[in-house]
Amino acid sequence: MKYQSQKIAVNFYTAALLLFAVQVVVGIIAALQFMWPDFFILNFNTIRTLHINALVVWLLMGMMGATYYVVTEESETELWSIPLAQLQFWATVIAVTAVVVGYIVMGVFPQANIEVFGTQLLNEGREYIEAPRWADILIVVSVLLFLFNCLMTVFKTKKFTAVQGVLLGGLTFLALMYLPGMFYTKSMVKDQFWWWWVVHLWVEGSWELIAAALLAFMLHKLLGADVKVLAKWMYIETGLVLFTGILGLGHHYYWIGTPKYWLWVGGFFSSLEPIPLLLMVWDAFRTTRETRVAVPNKIGLYLTVAHAIFNFVGAGLWGVIHTLPQVNKWTHGTQLTTAHGHLAFYGAYVLLIVAMIYVTLPSIRGVKEFNQSKGYLAFWWMTISMVFIVITITGAGMVQTYLERLLGLDYVTVKASYNLWFWIFRAIFGVGFLVGVLILVADFFTLGKKPLPAK
Amino acid sequence: MSTNAAKNLFIYGSLLCFIVLIVLTIDTMGTLDKRAPVITDKVDAGKKVWHKYDCIGCHTILGNGSYFAPDMTKAVERKPKGYLKKFIMDPRTIKADSAMPVLGISEQEADDLIAFLDWIAKVDTNGWPPKPILVAAAAGKAATPGQVLFQQNDCSACHQIQGLGGTAGPDLTRIGLKQADIEWHIKHLKNPESVVPKSAMPDFAHLNDEELKALAEYMVTLK
Repeated sequence: MKYQSQKIAVNFYTAALLLFAVQVVVGIIAALQFMWPDFFILNFNTIRTLHINALVVWLLMGMMGATYYVVTEESETELWSIPLAQLQFWATVIAVTAVVVGYIVMGVFPQANIEVFGTQLLNEGREYIEAPRWADILIVVSVLLFLFNCLMTVFKTKKFTAVQGVLLGGLTFLALMYLPGMFYTKSMVKDQFWWWWVVHLWVEGSWELIAAALLAFMLHKLLGADVKVLAKWMYIETGLVLFTGILGLGHHYYWIGTPKYWLWVGGFFSSLEPIPLLLMVWDAFRTTRETRVAVPNKIGLYLTVAHAIFNFVGAGLWGVIHTLPQVNKWTHGTQLTTAHGHLAFYGAYVLLIVAMIYVTLPSIRGVKEFNQSKGYLAFWWMTISMVFIVITITGAGMVQTYLERLLGLDYVTVKASYNLWFWIFRAIFGVGFLVGVLILVADFFTLGKKPLPAK
Repeated sequence: MSTNAAKNLFIYGSLLCFIVLIVLTIDTMGTLDKRAPVITDKVDAGKKVWHKYDCIGCHTILGNGSYFAPDMTKAVERKPKGYLKKFIMDPRTIKADSAMPVLGISEQEADDLIAFLDWIAKVDTNGWPPKPILVAAAAGKAATPGQVLFQQNDCSACHQIQGLGGTAGPDLTRIGLKQADIEWHIKHLKNPESVVPKSAMPDFAHLNDEELKALAEYMVTLK
C-alpha cells in the first residue's frame, strides 16, 4: 500500500459487506413470507424496507470506500484529512444503525411512527427513501463531508484526471439528486414524480457515471491500459448513459397521472438505454484483448468483465423488454419489474463493488499474490443463484401479466395459487445466494493474510 | 474522435438533456392538478395515513411500490367502500386467510385513507390499468337474468365463480350445494348481516323483489 489513507476504504468495505449479508438474510425472510405471511415477527413491509435500504446503503458505502481509494491513488497523495474520513465513516454507521432501529420499532409498534414537523418520525413510507427526514439531513451532511474531503485531496496535487472528474462529478450529481425526495407534496402524483427523480436519476444516471469511472480505473489498474484511450471511451459511455438515461426517466411517467407526451419521450429514450451498457462490455473485452500482459489479479479482471456483462443483461436487456408503453401497459407493477430490479442491481452495482474490493484489497493489504479460489467460488454461487432467482421471478411476472392483467383473474388468486412454485424455487435459490455471500465475506476477512501454499 | 471532443460532447450533451428535462418538468407541473380531482384536507390526511403505515411496503399504488399485495390505484372501484373500511381495520375477521396484518388503523384513519383512495382512483392515468380482455369479451354474453344482474352489480369484484373473480368474499362456484334455499339468499342480499354475523358485504336492498329473486335463483344453480 502506497498511502495510509487507503486503509479507510477497508472500513467502508467491511460495513458494506456486513450489510450485504444482512440484506440477503432479510431477503430470504421476505421470500418465505410470500408463502407464509406470518413467518417472522416483523411484517413483510418492514422486512422489504430493510432489504432495499440495506442494498442502497451498502452500495453507497462501497462506492465511498472505493472513491477514497481511487482519489488517493489518482492524486498520488494522502487524503486531505484522514480523521475527517474516519469521523464520516463512524457518523454514517451510527446514523444507519439509528434508522434501522427506527424501522424495527415501527415494524413492531406501527403507532410509533408519529408525525413530527409534518413528516413521519421513523419511516416516511416512500419506497427506497423510507429513511425519515432527520436521517435524510444526516445522509446529506455525511455525503457533503465525504465530497469535501475528496475534492480537497484532488486540489492538493491538482492532478485532474478523467477518472476523478467523472467519479466525483457522479457523486456530486448523486448528492444533488437526493434533494428532490426531501419535501412533502399533498398530491400523490407529484410525490411520485419527484420520487422518481431521486430513484431513476440515481440508478440510471449518477450511479452509472460512478460505474463507468470505476470500470476505467479498474481496467487501467489491472491491465495497465492506456489512460487516454480509456478516458475517451469513458466519456462516450457516460455521455450516452446520460443522453438516454436523463429523458429515459419518462418511462416512469406513463401511468402515474402525468401527460401523454411522456409515453413518447420515455419510450424513445429508454429504448436506447442498453446501448452505452453494451459499449461498456465491448470496452472491457477490447481493453483486455489489446493489452496482452500477464495479469496477476485474475479474479479482479474476471469480476470487472462480469460486472460489465451483467450490467448490460440486467439493467439493459431485462429493462428494455418492458420499457415500451405498449408492453408496459400490461406489465407495469408486476413481478417482471422485480426480476429486472434484481438482475440490474446485481450486475450493475453489486458486482461493481465486489470487483472494486478484489481489485484494491490486495494492494491495501500489501500482497501481490493471493489465493483466488474463494473469490471464484463466491462469484459462481452468487451468480448462478441470482440467475435462477431472476428466471423464477420473470416466470412469475409472465404468469401474473397473463392471468391477472390479460385474463382478469384476481391478484391474490394468482399470487397464492398459480405462482406458488415460483416462490418456492426463489426462496431455495435465495439460500444459494447467501452461501455465496458468506464465502465472499469470509474471503474478504482472510484475503492476503494466510501464506500461499508452496508451488 | 479525440478525448477532448468526447469530453465536450459528454458535458454539453448531458447539460442539454437536463435542460430539456427541466422544461418538460415545468410543463408537467402545470398540468397535473387539472388531471386529478381537488385535494381536500381529508384526502391529504388519508395520504399521510398511507405513509404512516408504510402501505407501499406491501402494495403498489399507480403501479409503483412493493409487489406483495394488490395495487391500490382503483381499489375503490373494485371493492365496496364499506367492505374496504372493515377490511383495513381488521383484515382477518373479514377474510380469515388474508396476508394483511392488523395494524391498529383507527376508524378516522380508515375513513381518511378511503377518501385518499377515492381521489387516486379518479386521477387520469392514461388508461392504466387496462381492462382485462376476458372481462371485456365476456360482458354482454350472459344467458340468464341472474347472470346479467351478477355482472351489472360487479359481484365478481369480490366473488369467484370457477376461478374468475375476486377473493374478498367467498367462492360461489358451488354455493348452490352449500345453501340451496332461495329465501335465504334473498334475505342475505337485502341485509347480509341478518344471516351472516359480521359480514362485510354491502347490502343490495336497492334491487327490486324480481331482481333479488333472479339473483337468488342463479345462486342455487351454482353446483
